[in-house]
Amino acid sequence: MMVIQSSRLRTFLRYAIPFALIPALVAVSALVFEGQRYLIISLGIAVLALLLFTAGVERRNIGSRRMVITAIMTALAVFGRFIPLFKPITAICVLTAIYLGAEAGFLCGSLSVLISNIYFGQGPWTPFQMLGFGLIGLIAGYLSRPLMRSGLWLSLYGIVAGVGYSFIMDIWTVLWYAGRFDPALYGTSIVSALPFTLLYTISNVIFLLLLRRPIGNKLRRIKIKYGV
Amino acid sequence: MAYLELEGLSFTYPEAAQSALTDISLQIERGELVALLGATGSGKSTLLRLLKPELRQNGTIQGEVMLDGRSVDSLSSRESAGIGYVAQNPDEQLVTDKVWHELAFTLENLGAPREQIARRIAETSAFFDIDSLYSRDTATLSGGQKQLINLAAVMTADPELLLLDEPTAQLDPIAATRFIETVCRLNRELGLTVIVSEHRTEELFSLCDRVIVLEHGAVIYNGKPREIAERISSDSPYLSFLPAAARLFRLTGGRGEAPLSIREGQRYVSALKSRTTAAFDAPKPAQAEPALELKNVYFRYERNGSDILFDLSMSVNSGEVFALLGSNGAGKSTAAAVAAGLRKPLSGSVKLFGKRLKDYHDGSLYRGNLSLLPQDVESLFLCDTVREELKGCEEVLKDFPYDLSRLYDRHPYDLSGGERQLVALCKVLSTRPRVLLMDEPSKGLDGGMKRMLIELIKEFKAKGMTVVLISHDVEFAAMCADRCALFAQGGIAAVDTAERFFSDNRFYTTAASRMTRLIAHGAYTVERAARILGGDG
Amino acid sequence: MKGFERLNPLSAALYYLCVLGLSMFSMNPLMLVISLFCAVLTCIADGTVKARGHLFALILFIVAAVLNPLIVHKGATVLFYLNDRPFTMEAAVYGVTAAVMLTAALYWLRSLSRVFTADKVMYLFGRISPKLALLISMTLRYVGLFKYRFRRIRDAQRALGLYDDGNLIDAVRGNARVLSILITWTLENGIVTAESMEGRGYGSGRRTSYAPYRLHGTDAVFMLLTALLTAIAVAGTAHSSAVFYPELNFDLLNPWGIAGTAAFSLLSLLPLILNAKEAIRWRILSSKV
Repeated sequence: MMVIQSSRLRTFLRYAIPFALIPALVAVSALVFEGQRYLIISLGIAVLALLLFTAGVERRNIGSRRMVITAIMTALAVFGRFIPLFKPITAICVLTAIYLGAEAGFLCGSLSVLISNIYFGQGPWTPFQMLGFGLIGLIAGYLSRPLMRSGLWLSLYGIVAGVGYSFIMDIWTVLWYAGRFDPALYGTSIVSALPFTLLYTISNVIFLLLLRRPIGNKLRRIKIKYGV
Repeated sequence: MAYLELEGLSFTYPEAAQSALTDISLQIERGELVALLGATGSGKSTLLRLLKPELRQNGTIQGEVMLDGRSVDSLSSRESAGIGYVAQNPDEQLVTDKVWHELAFTLENLGAPREQIARRIAETSAFFDIDSLYSRDTATLSGGQKQLINLAAVMTADPELLLLDEPTAQLDPIAATRFIETVCRLNRELGLTVIVSEHRTEELFSLCDRVIVLEHGAVIYNGKPREIAERISSDSPYLSFLPAAARLFRLTGGRGEAPLSIREGQRYVSALKSRTTAAFDAPKPAQAEPALELKNVYFRYERNGSDILFDLSMSVNSGEVFALLGSNGAGKSTAAAVAAGLRKPLSGSVKLFGKRLKDYHDGSLYRGNLSLLPQDVESLFLCDTVREELKGCEEVLKDFPYDLSRLYDRHPYDLSGGERQLVALCKVLSTRPRVLLMDEPSKGLDGGMKRMLIELIKEFKAKGMTVVLISHDVEFAAMCADRCALFAQGGIAAVDTAERFFSDNRFYTTAASRMTRLIAHGAYTVERAARILGGDG
Repeated sequence: MKGFERLNPLSAALYYLCVLGLSMFSMNPLMLVISLFCAVLTCIADGTVKARGHLFALILFIVAAVLNPLIVHKGATVLFYLNDRPFTMEAAVYGVTAAVMLTAALYWLRSLSRVFTADKVMYLFGRISPKLALLISMTLRYVGLFKYRFRRIRDAQRALGLYDDGNLIDAVRGNARVLSILITWTLENGIVTAESMEGRGYGSGRRTSYAPYRLHGTDAVFMLLTALLTAIAVAGTAHSSAVFYPELNFDLLNPWGIAGTAAFSLLSLLPLILNAKEAIRWRILSSKV
């Protein structure tokens, strides 16, 4: 940070420490805390994936206009969590990804989770949520052509994203609680979360369809106006 | 060779028939403070942007800009960051969420080490006296504070040339004066070269070293302020660029050196004392029904917060133009929101035409009774074209004195500030209100647009509409209000007819009133003062 | 909570990583009970959790404790049969232990969320990636701006007679309208922000990340102490064992286990100790005056 003189060494350490230290830490603690091995490993993988992505972003040159649009859309997703009856976070990430590309989608998804958790509470689930929403954005960015063209594909994506996200987060809940994957507990947690999953998925589809045209038109105009 | 040299500079926007700037040649010395004046669309912004390479817009450039003997095109992007630029909108130029981060941002971009950033932030905050704002959220600052932060943030990079594009257009007069004074200090104490484009010239005119006036992309005046004041005649369209003292001087046919400041204006006026005609007849107070009445209103935003409105009582007569004046952040807009039924008072009553607001059921309050033109007209625009935006406003457009049809196919955000204000006004009028509340309607408008708005307000009044202006723009209110009230400490400190209000106020009054208060009563606009002093105003 | 909150975010991050890691990953009942006790104490001392928060934690505790024996039927000691399914002591003990773990983690996370303000989160990200730190800061500014603008737009629309939240459908439609205006307003003006960034040298080369935090001697001592205590606690965990199935078999009180538990207790009390120290010093200073 400040003690090390050589800037090269500093850069090396900045990348080396997370990428070497985290796997090592994960390996050691998986051996020591035997009971929670899967939890530790999954957490390690999530953090590493986020770090890899961050390193990629840091290397690339993102223009000021892209930064501004991404920040606005991310802020919108965060802000959406504050409006009662209105949690359009998935819809906004997907639409951002479709019009601005996979990277913007990932950033919008993961950062909106990180920032809204400053208000709603951080936890060990933060990396998983970040990765989950990031991936929803990333994949939408890769599928931008069909998703942009048809409302049907978009709704389908909303359903898959909603159900898939809930199922994967439930696996993690079970891992934390039981220390390993227990099918009976997993079944219970899926059933008990079903109303939420359903509500979440339906609202995904509604907001995707509701916001598709207005946000799409605005982003299209802005892309031309900003020249990005 | 001069510090900044423009040689035969021309600029044409893509697909534009005419060039935005034509053959501009200027020489500006190091340490000069230059005021750049001109109507909206005269090319002021275009010119300033050409001086800073990364802000140039698409188009064809001819000619050369030389800075300190080097072409600005040859500056690296790090060197070019050393040309400071502050634009009109205080909100949108902020990039980050905290004041300290905003101040650090420029140096972060230039890759400065931590120690240097800390030192520069400390220095700059001391100079600008913004230490107390250091850890505040930028979103919670007032417009004037935001603009000072924008200027301070630019100054951390230690620029030698500062370009300011209408930096005070969105500020209230007190914040605007403070901003201009700060710019002058930068110029006097640090020897910074400053080019500032402005509509409001009251202070700037007597403080700057040189005035340049642009018209249709060409320089028509370029000289010392006093020379310019002499060359602009009383029938020139540029009369409104002159400060009040010089305007009064021209309108009363003064000869010789024109006064520029209030003090010089006072001296000039007292020399004319013998010419003073009789004072104005006091307007007879018209007997009218009260349209909007607030009685003992209290309001606060949070349960344990302080009262924003404290025992506010006021009564607006039907058919008058009533101005609610007061400094920024005093709670005028809150008063407007309570008067418009958007916030429920904690106690007290609000009545419209004798009926309490809560007795207007099913939204009938906002249909045919009351309407509000918000401070940020952006909050009204939903559609992609002006045509869609004005759907349902056909009746209003029929009687509207200005033809908006040429704007129909444009996006609302592609309009100028003044045009946007007109479209917003049509939207707000479409509900056929009997009482119209206007929150800071003159914000960001140039002289021509302000005059247009004043004409409109007078026409509303002629049609029997009641208009309530909520404003900090004293000069604007003086031009159109029948009665004025001074809002302070959550209530009304004084309310009177415009004439008595401006003549009796010592500090909170117009430039004309300050110049003439010793010799005449009621000369609170330059035009009235000219009339009383026997000019041709 | 002053002394602890004043530490560099890196120190605080390391601290929570260690305490949370140990509390989440070691299923050592003794350490978990200590962790829960200290976490609750910390949260009460600085007023982070109010009555409603404690109630929520209690409900979470009960649900988590009961869930396991109802669903998991492993274990040798059957206490009774419920709907023909065995209810075992081992599963019940595991349930309570897991509940303690979850509740302790919940309280530590409350404390963490309080200490980690937006500024500190940004600082940590700035260490890894200055660009992300900037993006976070920009996003936070827009969130603040949205709060203000949302209210402005709702007022303006209501005064036009176009916004109503009388029923659910109107509310969703009205909010969608307001949101739509909000997006346009902000996106259209964003170009000014982008130009302001360019005008101030963004993209002119490598950028640094500034933050008003510094690493002090206190931080070094604190981090070393945290690391040392954590190492002892980890060693203790490695040398002790807690087996739940098929029969309970705890080996917690061997010398290593005792040392580890003691180290962990001290670790859990660090924020309280730091703040108490400052409170006492304050008392002494003000009594001298």
